[in-house]
Amino acid sequence: MTVAGKGNPLVAGFVALVYGFMYVPVLVVLMFSLNDSEIFAFPLQGFTLRWFHEVLTDPRLIGGFGVTLSVAIPVSCLASVLGALAALALTRYGMRFKTVFLVLLLVPFLIPKAILALSQLILLSELGIERTLLTLIAAQTIIILPFTALVIASVLIRIDPRLEEAAADLGASPFSCFKRVTLPLMRNGIMAAFFIAFVLSSSEYVLTSLVSGRSQPLSVLVASDFRFAISPTLDALAVLIVIGNIALVGVGELFRKRSGQ
Amino acid sequence: MERTTIGAWLSVPIFAAVLAVCVAPLAILFAFSFFQVDFVAIVREPTLRNYWTIAGSETYRGLIGSAFFSGFLVACITAIVGHPLGFYIAKRVKTAKSAFLILLLVPLYTGDLVRIFAWRVVLGNEGALNRFLLWTGVIDTPIEALLFSPLATHIVLVYNYLPFMVLGLWLAYESLDDGLLEAARDLGAGKASGFRRVTFPLTIPGLIAGGMMVFVMVVGDYLTPQLVGGASGVTIISAVNDLFGTAFDWPLGSAIAWTMLAILGLFFAAAAIAISRTNWARALAAGE
Repeated sequence: MTVAGKGNPLVAGFVALVYGFMYVPVLVVLMFSLNDSEIFAFPLQGFTLRWFHEVLTDPRLIGGFGVTLSVAIPVSCLASVLGALAALALTRYGMRFKTVFLVLLLVPFLIPKAILALSQLILLSELGIERTLLTLIAAQTIIILPFTALVIASVLIRIDPRLEEAAADLGASPFSCFKRVTLPLMRNGIMAAFFIAFVLSSSEYVLTSLVSGRSQPLSVLVASDFRFAISPTLDALAVLIVIGNIALVGVGELFRKRSGQ
Repeated sequence: MERTTIGAWLSVPIFAAVLAVCVAPLAILFAFSFFQVDFVAIVREPTLRNYWTIAGSETYRGLIGSAFFSGFLVACITAIVGHPLGFYIAKRVKTAKSAFLILLLVPLYTGDLVRIFAWRVVLGNEGALNRFLLWTGVIDTPIEALLFSPLATHIVLVYNYLPFMVLGLWLAYESLDDGLLEAARDLGAGKASGFRRVTFPLTIPGLIAGGMMVFVMVVGDYLTPQLVGGASGVTIISAVNDLFGTAFDWPLGSAIAWTMLAILGLFFAAAAIAISRTNWARALAAGE
């Protein structure tokens, strides 16, 4: 009798149930975003796109989306570059303080975001620095860095080190070896990290709401709506956010897959 | 240049960034935890009074206790729910393994607010579940306790953090050698004792890693209790938040925050020691 047999239908059923649980809220929101009724009542009233139209023509939301872009793009660039440096240091070059480095890299991810944000507020007020989009970019980059480092490292560990050794044996300097062998091989990993960082940045709320100054990104702007009301327009907004995020993560995953070939 | 020297230079910007944006703020937070507040001014004379206040306050002790209890409870529930999933994805799924993993992670990428909003749509007084039950005639009046209860909070917390637990357990099951289980069967072990004496001990590292992630995130999550917990939604983190905002007592808030960080740090140290003692970590370390 082998262990990897047919499998227990109970286990398969349970797995299906849990996956269902993971998607029920999203599907309910999707359903009511397309339902032609102000209230969430059964039976459903028919198909409409007007809630989506309302969201896409709301100047307040469009303005917030602009701010989100002006934060998420620099954050993704910074987090990808720093993540690439961290991943290279961890997987390629070896270092003396590897454990310290790893712990330091993970600390911003491990401590509660509200505590990190409040401590940053004290530092800013001590130094007399105003809260602006720049402080927000710095704060977000630090908590997203562990994710980008992980994504890029996952690509780097699959690259055969013998390729670099061969280049070095053929007389390439460390720099040209990096530029002509390692970098082209890790480029897709960096792209994947960029898209994932973008998604994490644009949907981050706790840190963003505390550290951002006067100009508020979309996540902070819609927070009060999401917190206190439920309506089909908000459903449509949530659906758009989910679709946008899934599309971006999908693009990132495509890049990561390509790096394996 | 030697390779380790290059590695050291590469890590310099990371060290600088984390020190400036994370370690320095936490250090200042630590310093503030020894200060006092006098009306609107902060008195910068070191004292342990804030920590005495926390130790002497039943409210703060209770909130800290319930934060860690919630973390432990949710970690346990996700472990029980996650075990079959980790096993199934690692050992039963053959072709669509990455699809299973991506489907598991997609809800994470929707962001805290959207996930909480979705649950409010499902569970709310005017929400989908109540409306559905009214329509089918199962109930006459909406069930208000669906939302704004500790139960709702913990359902959403399990929903939020289950994927992290499944990832940890999945990794553990991936590196579990089927041959060991077959050997146990051949030696006469039943299903239950095979799980208890072979599978479970070998997946403990994944359990600890996943559990620690879930634990720390639940302890730090104040948004979910606040938005779906209603009156029960006051947490120690939201109390800290209030002390920094309306109550304007930064020093006391800092002291509570550092108490939380210190306790979390102890848990991490314990988890790291526990994992490093298992065979898995030794195998990983030897593989490098």
